Amino acid sequence: MTTTPTPDAVTPLPGTDERAVLAALTEALHAVIPELALEGTAVTMDTRFVEDLDLESIDLVTLTAELGRRYGDRVDFPAFFASLELTEVIELSAGRLVRYIAGRTR
Amino acid sequence: MRRPRRFLFVVPPLVGHINPAAAVAAELTRRGHRVAWAGLPGPVGELAGPGAEIHPCEAPRDLHRPPDLRGAAALRFLWQDFLVPLATAMAPGVERAAAAFHPDVIVADQQALAGALTAERLGIPYATSATTSAEFSAALAGMPKVAEWIHGLLAGLRATLGDPARTHDLRFSPDLVLAFTTTVLADASAAPPQTRFVGPALARRPDTAPFPREWLDAARHTVLVSLGTANTDLGGRFLTECAAAVRDRSPHLQAVVADPGGVLAGTSDDTVLAVPSMPQLALLRRASAVVCHAGHNTVAESLLHGVPLVVAPIRDDQPVIAAQVTTAGAGIRIRFGRADREAVGAALDAVLTEPGYRAAAHRVQNSFRAAGGAAAAAAHLEETAVRWADAAPPSAPTR
Repeated sequence: MTTTPTPDAVTPLPGTDERAVLAALTEALHAVIPELALEGTAVTMDTRFVEDLDLESIDLVTLTAELGRRYGDRVDFPAFFASLELTEVIELSAGRLVRYIAGRTR
Repeated sequence: MRRPRRFLFVVPPLVGHINPAAAVAAELTRRGHRVAWAGLPGPVGELAGPGAEIHPCEAPRDLHRPPDLRGAAALRFLWQDFLVPLATAMAPGVERAAAAFHPDVIVADQQALAGALTAERLGIPYATSATTSAEFSAALAGMPKVAEWIHGLLAGLRATLGDPARTHDLRFSPDLVLAFTTTVLADASAAPPQTRFVGPALARRPDTAPFPREWLDAARHTVLVSLGTANTDLGGRFLTECAAAVRDRSPHLQAVVADPGGVLAGTSDDTVLAVPSMPQLALLRRASAVVCHAGHNTVAESLLHGVPLVVAPIRDDQPVIAAQVTTAGAGIRIRFGRADREAVGAALDAVLTEPGYRAAAHRVQNSFRAAGGAAAAAAHLEETAVRWADAAPPSAPTR
């Protein structure tokens, strides 16, 4: 039996941060919409909040609170939403939010 | 009685906006004032009652919105592809109406922006009729760039159709804003101080929809299911799940389902009755709960009758109104796109058996009744008309 440690345990691979954030975001989404977990809908970087997950503006507020619990004041979520143009709100994807969070927690 | 005044109502081609205006117009007429309308002759003629003086306006040719638009995409469509073109199309008709009718006051619906624009350009005082309260909430407070985008569109309209020297937000008359709700229900954090909360104004509209009264079973709760007048293309799955939830509870529940699209194929049995349209006000008097899309008028009419709600908002102001209902404690919100028969049924069980929901609905009902409705709206308009007349010099001919 080999005892080679997994590379992850030593040096994070590129993108690991984002993967971890995506996992945390998925967890937060499941807290906001429990049906998502039941439906088995996979959340990827390309998943759009409104079109793919049917999230409403009020859900985004709850989601922000959930994420705030996880990241504390390391990530300024109100500033993120305040920076969005209308078209960016419409096309808002998990990836966009993940990249923002990853950029702030690095 | 006070001197008769002349009120011109400017309305969009939307049932939920014309109905409350029609109630106020009827009250003003009863008080001896003259009332006329500027809008699309079809919908206005149908709802404003026989003998209404209607000055026709044009509308953009294609008013149909893709039914699948939700959230911010629906907001973009509403403003860019509906409200702005509607204002541009209606403006010449509103101007002709003002020239022909010589109103003392224009009562401009918040979404018929041609009313406010024409009033300010011609120097005619105007009041805003806000038939939904979403614009008073701070819903866009967290997204300033979206709010800025809307302000940009309004500024563009003002530059071409209004008075570019004015600076106030076109959606709120600086003199009088009539809100057809109360602060027991609505979040009024963004309402300007000239807002008067008059509660729902119900037109004494004839219940024309035929209805088999003998179908109602006094031994069971009656649930009304309605998605309003603007969601016919969308409701199939949701209405089917609602019907199934009620059927699962047939010993103590029955439902009347407004099904204008015929998705339930005319279901008519002992438990579920699908009808193209229902006499909603008559049925509300004996309904135990209402399942709806959280359209402002359906919610207001239900709560005016003290009936608790299950709300499944679809888009536009509906998520905001749904949040008002749950915050007031008068109902439960479920997800329009996701709720299945179990979710609908669980929500119905709760609002029917837990007395808190009905008690909260009664609190809103009491606030609505105290607010005065159409009579209060008419009194505010009269008062403001007098104030304007006193303040203004004898009217010079307008350009």
